[in-house]
Amino acid sequence: MKRWILLALLFAVAVALSLLLGVRHLTPSDVWQAVTAPDPRNPAHVTLLTIRLPRLAGGLIAGAALGLAGTVMQSLTRNPLADPGILGVNAGAALAVVLGALLLGRADNGIVTVLAFPGAALASVAVFLPGGGLSGDAGPVRLTLAGAALNALLISAVSAIVQFRGEALDILRFWIAGSLASAAERPVAAMSLVALCGAVLALAIAPRLEVLSLGGSLARGLGTRPGIVQAQALLAVTALTGAAVAIAGPIGFLGLMVPPLARRVAGHSLRLELAASVALGAAILLLADTAGRLIFPPAEVRAGIMTALLGGPIFILIARRLKPGAQG
Amino acid sequence: MKRVIVLVALLVVATAASLLIGDVNLGLGALWQGVWGGDGPAALTIRVIRAPRVAVALGAGAALGLSGATLQTLLRNPLAAPDIMGFTSGAGLAILVAITVGLTLPLPLVSAAGGLVAAILVVALAHRPGRATPAATVVLVGLGIGFTTTAIGTFLMTRLPSAGATEAQRWLTGSLAARDWGHACQIWGIGAVLALLLALQVRGLGLLELGNDLAAGLGLRVERTRWMLAATAVALSAAGVAVAGPVPFVALMAGPLGTRMTGAQRPGTRLTSAAAAGAGVMLLADLVARAGIPGLQLPIGVMTGALGAPYLLWRLSREIERGEL
Amino acid sequence: MTEMTLRAEALTLGYGERRVIDDLSLALPAARMTTILGPNGCGKSTLLRAFARLIRPQAGVVTLCGEDIHGQDTRALARRIAILPQAPLAPEGISVGDLVKRGRAPWRGLLSPWSRADAEACAGALQAVGMTEHQERRLDELSGGQRQRAWLALVLAQGTPLLLLDEPTTWLDLTHQLEVLSLLRQRNRDAGTTVVSVLHDINLAARFSDHLILLGPGGLVAEGTPEVVVTTENLQRAFRLAARIQPDPVTDRPMVIPL
Repeated sequence: MKRWILLALLFAVAVALSLLLGVRHLTPSDVWQAVTAPDPRNPAHVTLLTIRLPRLAGGLIAGAALGLAGTVMQSLTRNPLADPGILGVNAGAALAVVLGALLLGRADNGIVTVLAFPGAALASVAVFLPGGGLSGDAGPVRLTLAGAALNALLISAVSAIVQFRGEALDILRFWIAGSLASAAERPVAAMSLVALCGAVLALAIAPRLEVLSLGGSLARGLGTRPGIVQAQALLAVTALTGAAVAIAGPIGFLGLMVPPLARRVAGHSLRLELAASVALGAAILLLADTAGRLIFPPAEVRAGIMTALLGGPIFILIARRLKPGAQG
Repeated sequence: MKRVIVLVALLVVATAASLLIGDVNLGLGALWQGVWGGDGPAALTIRVIRAPRVAVALGAGAALGLSGATLQTLLRNPLAAPDIMGFTSGAGLAILVAITVGLTLPLPLVSAAGGLVAAILVVALAHRPGRATPAATVVLVGLGIGFTTTAIGTFLMTRLPSAGATEAQRWLTGSLAARDWGHACQIWGIGAVLALLLALQVRGLGLLELGNDLAAGLGLRVERTRWMLAATAVALSAAGVAVAGPVPFVALMAGPLGTRMTGAQRPGTRLTSAAAAGAGVMLLADLVARAGIPGLQLPIGVMTGALGAPYLLWRLSREIERGEL
Repeated sequence: MTEMTLRAEALTLGYGERRVIDDLSLALPAARMTTILGPNGCGKSTLLRAFARLIRPQAGVVTLCGEDIHGQDTRALARRIAILPQAPLAPEGISVGDLVKRGRAPWRGLLSPWSRADAEACAGALQAVGMTEHQERRLDELSGGQRQRAWLALVLAQGTPLLLLDEPTTWLDLTHQLEVLSLLRQRNRDAGTTVVSVLHDINLAARFSDHLILLGPGGLVAEGTPEVVVTTENLQRAFRLAARIQPDPVTDRPMVIPL
């Protein structure tokens, strides 16, 4: 119980900091007035309503979705190194969007929304098949490397296309490391619906995923059909990751960091773990985003770069703890 | 023997093609003139622009290939290449940092330092006292080092002005653009010294292949030999990075590709064919990257990324079938 | 010929905190076949590895001709002591001939070419294990018994007066176990090579060895000829095994029949 309270506190702090801190620091009373009696001539109110709040909404949805996707993936693959960013699912969505923009010549919200999902779906299937994920007993090395390979391939393609278009390097940076800066222009409302569907699906199949983690043959003996559960889990991952990419671009390593922390809060029930992942994912992404705004004002460091800076060392920490037997 | 000839012929053809094909396609006559000191624009294009670039590609590819094959043999893992384990991105990051802060040290030294620091970090972090370190852990920790250095590199890039960022992007993906004869002399000179050093250790490598115990029983100082070999391999990959940037996947592919092409079995011939294969892959990837899509010059790193990733995926799925990983 | 005797003096071995062998002193008689026996985890392999200077003692010394082996040049020592570990690693696709050639490493300098003596040693080793006609074949195509003979050829080519083997018969069927042990005894009788091996099978050890070293959970239980070592009382102490001992009807050596 104590840990749930800590988690709630962390979440509240993350939300508050994300609203208050930035190029222009606001006070809690500014926030209160902006919500209760908005004054369009007060710059503080304008900042809050047109920049901070949409950014907060985007961060909440993208962070929660990526946290959930990470927990589902790690449970599905029994691999503590699984993460939509590391395994190339983010990059798949990014490539689909960039490719669509190249072929159709426009990059509006409709394109981004429609294309991110098939991209994420294709990439997750592509990494799970050669990675041996679907047999349910892939070693972490194999799956992680398959993901790294896929990621490298997709990112090569993204940067080739962006260079082909002769666009500024800035766009490339966006599609390699995501950011919440333009969340206001993204279809946050629609994506939150998609993410909600993914979350409901994940919660629904959680008990069957738990059974599956005992191994394919035992799960079959307990009356589960592994193939169907895996397909459902991949569908959930696709919906969640696609929604996050459509809002914030590819943000890596959140799915890596969230599940081990969520397990500490929730113990060994996957449903509770998923619930904790929602709050943790959102909190970590908001904190990363806020920190990125504060490091070199007025310039911003993208949230995706901040999570990668944090995630690399955490990846190493988890990798060296793996038992040799689990790497076979 | 026949397969060795095929590999050599392939290298010669790739070299000639790289000299002739580009924004302006040249004929064999121009190649002749260029080699023998003619001074038409075509001859100059070959001598001043393309030949040094080809020489750098061959040298850097061979160095990366040697490095990859040595580490793969040493760790007995086909995935233990300096590019997978983050050594090359460490070297690339060091160069990026040096350029950013305006350090005036020679780049090969900077890159060697970066590669060595990355390698030492990988070994130190993968090691857990009182337990044997599985090669898989080394590979994974190396992957994590790669993620971290890439993140730091991207982070630094955001601090650079736009022009600097373009240059930095080159150093992070790997590129052979604007290489001159100075770069060529650098990689061939340093590469030759390191290759000689490696040649002196080839017999030790052959014994280490039999396992540490048997190698020790055969009179090898196992720990010392392992460290020396690893250091030579890291230095070789850093030498390649210093002229071409952290080109991904060349070191990973060169060893298995070379062995497959020549059927070599002894460590010495395996390393030689890895060097040849590395040089060939690098040259062809560069050729396709700059001439594959008309009017677009891609950095070579994008091309080897696109070539190497499917190879890695195929390799992984094959190891699954054989139940090795 | 100088007496090539390996001797353990007040030897204590272990890994970190865990002590496996405590204050052990014994000698491996020269030009004999010696077998180290004992239950799992009693330190048989550890002791063998200490004799092969693969691990450093925590206390005490291993001496060869009276000199500490850890003070000696490792290559010079490799011309006198050969070790075949339990699970050597085979490079992918290596041929039997190439494998055996690597056994000549301690005799070759940094740049010295392949000499006639090297070629003869390899040919002799292949002949001794009966693998001459298979030397072009790849190791991974061979049967388990043939593969083990190829590894034996490697250490025989090393041309040492002392040969240490860690469980050379594991994974082999009975026929091939007999074959490997006969080969070793042949080498012992023909060349006077001191052969020291770790085995699991007491009956095979008693049949082929001149000298047995029996370790138990508390250290050395007995050493000496098979008749001296293989007794009901010693087996009880080392293995907690109740057994009857009868003479082997073929060789007259002691034979264990568990009760």
